[in-house]
Amino acid sequence: MRSLLSTILVFTTAFFYAQTKISGNIKDASGIPIAGANVYLDGTYDGSSSNDTGAFIFYTEETEQQTLIISFLSFENFTLTADVATMKALEIKLREDVNSLGSVMLNAGSFAAGDNSEASVLKPLDIVTTAGAAGDYIGAFQTLPGTSTVAEDGRLFVRGGDADEANVYIDGLRVFQPYNATANNIPTRGRFSPFLFKGTTFSTGGYSAEYGDALSSVLLLNTIDQPDQEKTEFQVINVGLGMGNTQKWKNNSLSINAFYSNLKPYQEIISQRVDWIKPFESLSGEAVYRHQFKNGLLKVYGGLNYTNFQLIQEDINTPEGFNFELTNRNLYMNASYKGDLGNDWSINTGASIANDDSDIIISETDVDDMDNSVHLKVKVRKRFSNRFKLSFGVEQFLGDFTEDVDSPDFETFHTSYQNNSTATFAESSIFFNKKLAMKIGVRGTHNQLLESTKIAPRVSLAYKTSETSQVSFAYGDFYQTPQQEILKYTTLLDPKKSSHYLFNYLFQHKGRTLRAEAYYKKYDQLVKYNTSMPMFDSDYMSSGDGYATGLDLYWRDNTSIKNLEYWTSYSYLDTERDYQNFTESATPNFATAHNISFVSKYWIKDWKSMVGATYNFASGRPYDDPNTTTFMDKKTKAYQALNMNWAYLISPQKVLFFSVSNVLGTDNIFNYQYANTPNATGNFDRQTIRPAADRFFIVGFFWTISDDKTDNQLDNL
Amino acid sequence: MKMIITVLAFLVITTTQAQTNYEKGMTKAFEFWKNQKTDEAANLFERIAKAEKENWLPYYCAAQVHIVKTFNSKDGKEILSRLEQAQNYLNEAKTFSKNNAEITIMEAMLNSAYVIYDGQAYGMTHSPKVEALYQKAKAIEPENPRAILYHAEWQMGAAKFWGKDPKAFCPEIEKAILYFEKESSDIPFYPQWGKDQIARVQKNCQ
Repeated sequence: MRSLLSTILVFTTAFFYAQTKISGNIKDASGIPIAGANVYLDGTYDGSSSNDTGAFIFYTEETEQQTLIISFLSFENFTLTADVATMKALEIKLREDVNSLGSVMLNAGSFAAGDNSEASVLKPLDIVTTAGAAGDYIGAFQTLPGTSTVAEDGRLFVRGGDADEANVYIDGLRVFQPYNATANNIPTRGRFSPFLFKGTTFSTGGYSAEYGDALSSVLLLNTIDQPDQEKTEFQVINVGLGMGNTQKWKNNSLSINAFYSNLKPYQEIISQRVDWIKPFESLSGEAVYRHQFKNGLLKVYGGLNYTNFQLIQEDINTPEGFNFELTNRNLYMNASYKGDLGNDWSINTGASIANDDSDIIISETDVDDMDNSVHLKVKVRKRFSNRFKLSFGVEQFLGDFTEDVDSPDFETFHTSYQNNSTATFAESSIFFNKKLAMKIGVRGTHNQLLESTKIAPRVSLAYKTSETSQVSFAYGDFYQTPQQEILKYTTLLDPKKSSHYLFNYLFQHKGRTLRAEAYYKKYDQLVKYNTSMPMFDSDYMSSGDGYATGLDLYWRDNTSIKNLEYWTSYSYLDTERDYQNFTESATPNFATAHNISFVSKYWIKDWKSMVGATYNFASGRPYDDPNTTTFMDKKTKAYQALNMNWAYLISPQKVLFFSVSNVLGTDNIFNYQYANTPNATGNFDRQTIRPAADRFFIVGFFWTISDDKTDNQLDNL
Repeated sequence: MKMIITVLAFLVITTTQAQTNYEKGMTKAFEFWKNQKTDEAANLFERIAKAEKENWLPYYCAAQVHIVKTFNSKDGKEILSRLEQAQNYLNEAKTFSKNNAEITIMEAMLNSAYVIYDGQAYGMTHSPKVEALYQKAKAIEPENPRAILYHAEWQMGAAKFWGKDPKAFCPEIEKAILYFEKESSDIPFYPQWGKDQIARVQKNCQ
């Protein structure tokens, strides 16, 4: 019995120790040996690492069918299932992982700001620490190439397009009124508090088929997925007061903030060119709730904003000016869910609704606007492999606008329209290898109001020319429904159209980035009318057209000088369009041929201070002088502004902040308004359109209370 | 009867075999690491992790090898890909052991590695995470010497930045020394590192 047992023991042990040799050689696609790769039989301890010549040898006691796995950083896993006896002198080529660092990026037309330092041109902080931006997330983007400085407006003007050609999205859902309500020539700001957002992508052209209804540009904002910690924040500024709070539970978190601003005390000290009867006053509140499911994340965002002001709007044709009073209430809600469906399928879905109510009184006329909008969207994505991904989706837009105008001169005038449209899109990204990639997409939109169906193709290609540089190309067609001010009078129009052609060069090396992008953009079916402004009795036609072409340069250097970060942008723009009431093709007033921005931030350790300076230059703005026969042939003098800010950290969680825009007090002129009728000498008189004040001062104190005692609001200034 | 004994003997042999395989493998991996064969060490830890299926330790060690390696590297691409890989390993480790103080400490070190690599890019986003992770680790194991020592070092760095006295955290180091002495574990290869770093951190107290 004992001998039998030992025989069995010896036999089994011997059986287990019968070893098979597994050997081979590992190379990359170009035949260079890969050293240090991990080679092993799945589910066993048997394996080895490849040596300097890419060779590996190891022994196994396993027999028959086994799976050999080879893994190495930045390469795709290699697997081979076969009889171990056949795993000899294997010649293995590993494929590069196209999702790893150093791969080509499909980035034509876009600027990313986020954590991923490779793809990002801006860092998250830049959105809000740029001098002159004063916490407005739109301000930082206005220092990027491709934008025109239109300081009296405050919105984004991209590559010869007007501000209506740029749309804003939060978590993939449309924001219908991204800017605060304002009056003519009083600059607006973004409605949303910058500190609820993390990654941001600003596209100046050639953007994804997922987005539509914007001729020039999209700005994509993403709210924070999961806040790091609970905190309470206070803001005391010379123009307002605010506070915020974040709470975290197991799978839930809630951030709320509120801000009240009133410019009355400020305007009593600093003289204004505008005659304010009731200075700008606004109250806003925002909340984000997040819930983490096992395989997904739900985010609900809500923002409520109330604004009112009253001023005398100067007008050359009315010596006493117009008494302009505005009360606006805006509610925006957005709920989005992103989740994993298993098997490499994922889903992004959500809805946004906006309710915007404006009550405007211009002298004796009372205008009451009510705008309700809804966006519903579902997008699914399938990852077939690292190299091939497909996404497609469908979305529905609903819009309901009504306007009532009451005036002593005429009866109540009522207009309304329903702007509903349905769109579907599909897009696939294909990485042929680490160097060459392509994105191809198509978007179809049916607009019920205009009774039109349009198909828009989008293509982009990128090729990595060296370790540090790449070139890319993008083409796309874009359609946009005409704006509210037109649609309320007529709907017998076609969607406006633009086509983009972009060529991009990107160089990145050790904290230095050079980005150059040349583009050509063609406009068609722009709206024309035959009156000085859109009226109920104007003739409207979709017969306008135009072009914009130019070169955008961006240079950033974070490393050459310690503690100094700077970037500089130059944009050259050549554009003409025949639209609105233009008598011929001309460069519109908002388009400037040369735009330069220089942004710098310097950290002074001994002073615990972040000092920033931004310089903006824009060449003269075209305007039309009716005293000459040529249309739009005059130009204002160039625009210049030097903005400075200084953030001083009193303690880790207390920040004192000062900022001054246009420190040098440059007298900037945006445009001229000419009289409708000539004066006694036969000349048309004019008045200058200038900023309400040359400089704007901000003094603030920002205090954060959190468990870690280090977090502060430096990143919101 | 014979049959039962045979089966039993077979089982005993295979299980002891598996035990030794794990121990042999782990010992060898630590040996590779000691001899600066970082990639081989990480590879072996990964192989053990894959073979062991439900053991968090080899994944934890594989992550540690990559994280420690980045402290001596200047190559941005290498640093980022190693940290990304380390995060993957830690995510795997977390699926087998929830609320584990050691994994939490390692994740804090991973996040501080990002801040050390590029403070401008990652400081604002990753610093609060580091702080929160150390606090979480201390909440799970109030007497964990690594959590106390490395948290103190992190806080000393912040204090220096703010021109405050880092010595305020020196009593924490004393506490860590005490807990290092008390530290013991029945689990083979359970993390015990960090004792040799006391002297380095203590330089702030002179």
